[in-house]
Amino acid sequence: MTQEELATLTADKTVDARGTSCPGPLLAAKKAIVEIDKGQIMEVLSADEGTRRDIPKWCTKKGYEYLGTLDESGYFKIFLRK
Amino acid sequence: MTLALFSGSVDKLTAAGVILGGAAAEDMDVEIFVLLQAAFAFKKENAMTNERVAEITDKQDEFLASLKRLNAPHWTEAFRNAKEMTNVKIHICGFAGKVWHGEKLEDFIDLADDICGIGEYMTAAEESDINLFI
Repeated sequence: MTQEELATLTADKTVDARGTSCPGPLLAAKKAIVEIDKGQIMEVLSADEGTRRDIPKWCTKKGYEYLGTLDESGYFKIFLRK
Repeated sequence: MTLALFSGSVDKLTAAGVILGGAAAEDMDVEIFVLLQAAFAFKKENAMTNERVAEITDKQDEFLASLKRLNAPHWTEAFRNAKEMTNVKIHICGFAGKVWHGEKLEDFIDLADDICGIGEYMTAAEESDINLFI
């Protein structure tokens, strides 16, 4: 997805993991993914740089669709579809 | 994944906790064998009070302060989180337990599942795709 498309995307679930360091955001995503249905979208908010690469790889391994990452001020949003 | 956990220092135990978190995210089965100095850290009376570090020891205070600043979970909490999220078994080496006067499972924190011999570790390591020593 383009940055413009990501900016207009409405997530079905938001996981705010900005207060945690690696592997906190990844584990928060794993805990939360069970709370949405297949096809729904989840966004993970993180300020941990390693998470930028961890979540896309995790999506590939688990069969989820990584949609993209949107930079915000001091953190970023990672979007995925279950 | 199998993990031969030798170190009883919080820096290496914290690193082990991070790796366990990665394993938990991927639903890996993990078997941890607590050897020698790690058995000291797993003793009930030591787990929360032990602040020894193995590396860069002159920066111990800075390291411990940074863990707090970053809101990093204590290694016992990281291990517990991993156990809740995936299949993690923690075995205390019988010899290591005796070295630190821990003869029974009750002598160790409740993360420990059992006390075993080295043969169990060898079998698990042979069957594992990933085998780490920390």
